[in-house]
Amino acid sequence: MRSIFLIARREYLTYVGAWGFWISLITTPLIMVVFGAAPTLLRNAEPARLVSVIAADPLDAAAIKMGFAEEEKARLRGALRLAAQSAPDAGAKAASEAFDAASDSDSALAAALAVLAKTDPQLAKSFKAPPPAYVFVDPPARDAAGLAPYLKGERLIGEGKAGKPLFAAFLVERTGTEARIAYWSDNVTDTEARGLARDGLRERMRAQALIERGLAPSSLAQIEQIKPKLVQFRPGEQAEITNRDRAPFLVAIGLAFVLWMSIFSISNMLLTGVIEEKSNKILDTLLTSVAPTHILAGKLLGVAALSFTLFLIWGGVGGTFLFQAAAGSGGLLAGAAEALRDPWLLVIFAISFVLGYVMYGVIFLAIGSLCESLQESQALVSPLFLMLVAPMLLLVPALQNPDAPLVVGASWVPLFTPFVLMMRAASGLSLWEAAGPLALTALTALGVLLAAGKVFRAGATSQLSIADLRRFMPGAKKAAKA
Amino acid sequence: MSDHALQVSGLVKTYGSHRAVDGVSFSVARGSVFGVLGPNGAGKSTTLRMVVGILAPDKGEVSILGGAVSRQSLRRVGYLPEERGLYRSMTPSGILVYWARLKGVAAPLARKRAIALLEEHGLGGYAHKRIKALSKGMAQKVQILGAMIHEPELIILDEPFSGLDPVNQQTVEALIRAQGRAGRTVLFSTHVMEHAERMCDHIVLFARGQAAFCGAMGEALASVPRAALLETEGGFDLAAALQPQGFAAVEEAPGDGVRRWRAGLDGKDASRRLLAACVSAGAPLTLFEPTKATLHEAFVRLVGDAASPADPRKSLGWRTPVDVGA
Repeated sequence: MRSIFLIARREYLTYVGAWGFWISLITTPLIMVVFGAAPTLLRNAEPARLVSVIAADPLDAAAIKMGFAEEEKARLRGALRLAAQSAPDAGAKAASEAFDAASDSDSALAAALAVLAKTDPQLAKSFKAPPPAYVFVDPPARDAAGLAPYLKGERLIGEGKAGKPLFAAFLVERTGTEARIAYWSDNVTDTEARGLARDGLRERMRAQALIERGLAPSSLAQIEQIKPKLVQFRPGEQAEITNRDRAPFLVAIGLAFVLWMSIFSISNMLLTGVIEEKSNKILDTLLTSVAPTHILAGKLLGVAALSFTLFLIWGGVGGTFLFQAAAGSGGLLAGAAEALRDPWLLVIFAISFVLGYVMYGVIFLAIGSLCESLQESQALVSPLFLMLVAPMLLLVPALQNPDAPLVVGASWVPLFTPFVLMMRAASGLSLWEAAGPLALTALTALGVLLAAGKVFRAGATSQLSIADLRRFMPGAKKAAKA
Repeated sequence: MSDHALQVSGLVKTYGSHRAVDGVSFSVARGSVFGVLGPNGAGKSTTLRMVVGILAPDKGEVSILGGAVSRQSLRRVGYLPEERGLYRSMTPSGILVYWARLKGVAAPLARKRAIALLEEHGLGGYAHKRIKALSKGMAQKVQILGAMIHEPELIILDEPFSGLDPVNQQTVEALIRAQGRAGRTVLFSTHVMEHAERMCDHIVLFARGQAAFCGAMGEALASVPRAALLETEGGFDLAAALQPQGFAAVEEAPGDGVRRWRAGLDGKDASRRLLAACVSAGAPLTLFEPTKATLHEAFVRLVGDAASPADPRKSLGWRTPVDVGA
């Protein structure tokens, strides 16, 4: 036990004393924030795209522009909703209703901010509307041939540094009731702009068709305003579902991601650490003092202690910020703070971490013990990394439906259980749904621990190497004969 | 208590179809400085790794300090592996304390010993610097000190001189001698004969996984036929002059105005008898120098034969090395 403690202590102190630890301490939360905010940031960072529409009927051009305006309004609504998540639910809901009641983006934003200012004046004052994604400009030419140099960027719209290429041009051709939009753009992969143009013109064509069939234009405007009011409930609960109720699901997904990131990076640390010791024969010196199983246990404990330090710092700093922010507001932040106080989520997180860490940790340690270099380990590590990445593909489906058959099925696969069960943890799991997969994973982890322990023992003492394993791989014998 | 710090008997280790160690036996007396010699790939390191329990032998037995190889007995053994390295981000004192504590030394004593050892070997100023800031020679010294920090009864060093410059080789040599003087048993492997020749009481010579010779250093040197170097002035034919008196002289490369000869020395007082024969033959001698056999010559003679497919033990007059070094 003493040697296990000494090895664990050395591992812990070495990693904590390394720059890498402090860098990952800071960068991991930043990476998570960047990943979460990346789509919005990228969108906002991109300069507005210049588009033009050429149509014989000015109303067709106006309809297409309306299609884009609707999208800009939806984007503005999303940004406002995101910003209002820290506001109390009642305020955020009222602001949202005021926004929807207004006809255009500018008045919608003004109305929403006016409502929001009553419950959270600071937020209303600091809110910045995202820049427009598309800006309509007068067509620089009247036909495709004339537009081509602008679309290719050979000629620019505007002068000097302010000049930009034309992103797309829509040429509308009408034949009776039929309409055709020729979409010209140098970008062949982005389908958003053409979709918006088609939707805008389709609205007009439908309106025209209805009017031709006898519907009064005033009635048409009224009909377009008709939409049901949607209120969301959950079985067994009387109150309407709010952001606060959605928070635990987001927290569970967030914890699953933290769990995955931790196990992924820790496994890498274990792998590189043991390869370093194997390649420079430190392992030989250790083996004259300590049993291989004690080395394995010491390394696992040392790096586990490192993870707990990370969790403690992240949890302490993040939790303090979250609870501070949640104290003065409601909505999503308050819900997230509440969810983090829920022992159920934390217990699932702790058990999942221990099982996932032991299972993946010993596998990586065993692989490391077989290899003299990182390059040598790649043959075995690459498929394992792919396996580790697989449960992350379920993040979005699990958020949308934690009880989807695929998600439930994956939670019973021991290699995925720690992550997928964490994703599902807020969905009201029965004891069986949680205990079953965890018990199965615990058994698997025990089996992996025993098997990997044997491999580590053989690898550390150079009785087994990656070359020996290759002999058992399919096709290896055939290749050797050839 | 056994007189032997180490006894190895019939060790065999096979990797696939390759027999890396093939029935090796030898013993190391307590308090001796013992050399394990042989070319690369002869099975030295594999044998030493079996001795310290890193590898399990397919056959054979190892007895360390009078008992079987166990974690407990290995606490009294210091080991320096071949192709070594250190934790680059640790400090020399940190590493020494770590190794000592793993060997069961209490923390305060380990710290005290580490600083004292580093000071003693000129590394006091580097005690708290990171290993990556040290030169290769310094790092290697730290590693050797790591094998000694717990004051083991038996110190096993696998190629301790490899990769060191001549100055550092001398330092390591002094370190090993000091351990020997302190009454500890030191066993080291090397393929540099001069080190073993200068330091060892007893040696084992490895070839193709077998112990081709095991015995006292003098015994190995005695296996090399003795000879004398002679120089004569003018055109004097020494070979012809000595032949009737029962000595064979062979001319070597000619010198500047002199002829050089090598004459074999066989039997008691051969050196004195040869000189008398030269004088009685009226040889105009300018040099008479009986040569000293080197371990390199002994190695080539002994292991050169052993490397052949024939059973080396027959041609070398192998004897069971139970009492070697005692």
